Amino acid sequence: MTFDLAPLAPYIGDFAAGARLTALACALALAGGLALGIVAALMRTAALPAVRRAAEIYVDVFRNVPFIVQLFFLFYGLPEIGVRLSAFGTGVLALSLAGGAFTSDVIRSGILAIEPGVLEAAQVSGLSRLAIYRRIVLPIALRSSVRPLGSVFVNLVLTSSILSAITLNELTGSAKIVASDTFQPFEVYAVLLLVYAVMTWLVSLSSAALHRRLNRGQG
Amino acid sequence: MIHIEAVAKRFGSNTVLDGIDLRIAPGEVVSILGASGSGKSTLIRCINGLEKLDGGTISVDGHRVDDPKQLRLARRCCGTVFQLFNLYPHMTALQNVTLAPIEVLGVPRKQAEDDARALLASVGLLERADAYPGQLSGGQRQRVGICRALAMKPRYLLLDEVTSALDPEMTAEVLSILARLAASGTTMLFVTHEIEFARQISRRIVFLERGRLLADLPTAQFFAEDGGLAQPRIAQFLSKMTK
Amino acid sequence: MQYTDFAPHDLILLLQGLGVSIALFAATTAIGLAIGLAWAMLRYYRTPLLSPLAALLAELLKNSPVLVQLFLVFFGLPVLLETELTPVQAALITLSGNTAAFIYVIAVSAIESVGRDQLETARVFGLRRWQILRRIVAPQAAAFALGPLTGLLVNQLQVTSLISVIGVVDLTKAGAILNLRTLKPFVVWTVIGLLYYLMARLIAKACARVETRLRAHSEWKGL
Repeated sequence: MTFDLAPLAPYIGDFAAGARLTALACALALAGGLALGIVAALMRTAALPAVRRAAEIYVDVFRNVPFIVQLFFLFYGLPEIGVRLSAFGTGVLALSLAGGAFTSDVIRSGILAIEPGVLEAAQVSGLSRLAIYRRIVLPIALRSSVRPLGSVFVNLVLTSSILSAITLNELTGSAKIVASDTFQPFEVYAVLLLVYAVMTWLVSLSSAALHRRLNRGQG
Repeated sequence: MIHIEAVAKRFGSNTVLDGIDLRIAPGEVVSILGASGSGKSTLIRCINGLEKLDGGTISVDGHRVDDPKQLRLARRCCGTVFQLFNLYPHMTALQNVTLAPIEVLGVPRKQAEDDARALLASVGLLERADAYPGQLSGGQRQRVGICRALAMKPRYLLLDEVTSALDPEMTAEVLSILARLAASGTTMLFVTHEIEFARQISRRIVFLERGRLLADLPTAQFFAEDGGLAQPRIAQFLSKMTK
Repeated sequence: MQYTDFAPHDLILLLQGLGVSIALFAATTAIGLAIGLAWAMLRYYRTPLLSPLAALLAELLKNSPVLVQLFLVFFGLPVLLETELTPVQAALITLSGNTAAFIYVIAVSAIESVGRDQLETARVFGLRRWQILRRIVAPQAAAFALGPLTGLLVNQLQVTSLISVIGVVDLTKAGAILNLRTLKPFVVWTVIGLLYYLMARLIAKACARVETRLRAHSEWKGL
């Protein structure tokens, strides 16, 4: 039983490249997921039942179907209808769609937690619906959502490892190559495990710091 | 002029307002008194459109509150101060006051902030302009709430039990500001439990009981033996409140 | 390769895959539950060295991708221990461990949700730790834990789909096989997705039933 990290050293470059790809994909997916999540959350708190239902179905489906199935559906299905995305593009799309479903839960909670009196004050002061959403509802909901959104982002980073299944050489994909090159899968995957753990730990720290910064002085 | 005609409001099977007729003219200071559940707050919430009418009409300077297209115009004429302050928690005191003038009236930011600081200064809160509601006491928050309502230069000020959530000391500081406003000619419609205060600054007293208007009298007459006190229910209410 | 259309035999493949997924899910849930609860016991009894170690291990498993854990076990362990591991064995080990980590966290938080005053009262009456656990803590903790547990179960069901990547012929692998052969991704993956969706719904419903029954018994908690 040996544990030898030395043969991995020359491959640090590959790991770094993979990590960069993971970071890029996750950042893009976070933006996309946030946008989708806000829209879905607004739809789920809207007055019209049909609008609510549509968003609820979206969230329901993407939360109860495994991510890899969603990914394969897009990866193999999109070319059939003439949409040609790269593996990276497909991966980001899939992560955004799934991320949006979880994000909308968080933001919806944030919206529902707003004191009704605050909304009433905004209404009677003559603010338009759009202004109320833009200046009151979303700022308050997003501020209280930072911590739980951090958890969603952590999840996104972990889920991104599945993108290796559609031949994307992000962190896990690169690691697979290194493992087969060095014939030391245990060391490679153990290190990989730690790298992901450190990444998610950094995300958690950042979201806690952001939460503190946004909520300073608000009691 | 605020016209309230035959207004009715029900919550489920509970009739909260049962045919209210009332007129508020510009410059008047009117207090609405009554027991809890008499419909006082509901009436104010009907005037600024927070509750929909089940019968009758309300118009503010000719704008009908029950018509969605006219509601915004009606609301522009009114400023509301709430019992629980309802300040925007993510904005400073200054931003709370400037939000509506900037967004609704299109006032330039610099101008809006200058006006806001003047308002805050008049209630003694200029140094706290950059504080968040969470950092202010109840009395301070309510003073910001008053400034926020005044910032829109409303013709009518609606005040819904604005001191009920404050302790006696803070109540006194808010009431003195309101007395000043009343003396300066601002049209005010109060819902309040502060009988003495109502007596001192109102020109008119309206008494609600179980959704009905029992009295609508000039202040002196309301508190007179042969006026408001002649009604047993009113006498009973006043004796309980001033014990 | 010849691309063919769907055949009746495909239904059998699908059902076999479904069976494998369900079996693995059930097995790893049971094992994970046992291990996770044992971990939580370490914490409850405040075992000096093992308890913080268990906590650290749980954190590591929770904050790393399941796919990487699968690779580590399936590709890495055999080389390290110089043994052989079948995909199913690797899947069992990995998913049980992963589930155990989450069960541990849920159990710890559920136990801590039971008011300290209840524990102190029981101690004063002379009850021993084990009795307190059985009679007072466990029933209330169970009711508290059911919500997070439902979420965990639904999530772990979806996680089983990853074992297809290391070659286990589960529902997802069956889908991959069919997809490759028939080249009808929309049909194949929609059916697979639907099957997972229905299973997730079933689990959620079952847990909701258990929750109402548990809560009915602890209604008197509001004294």
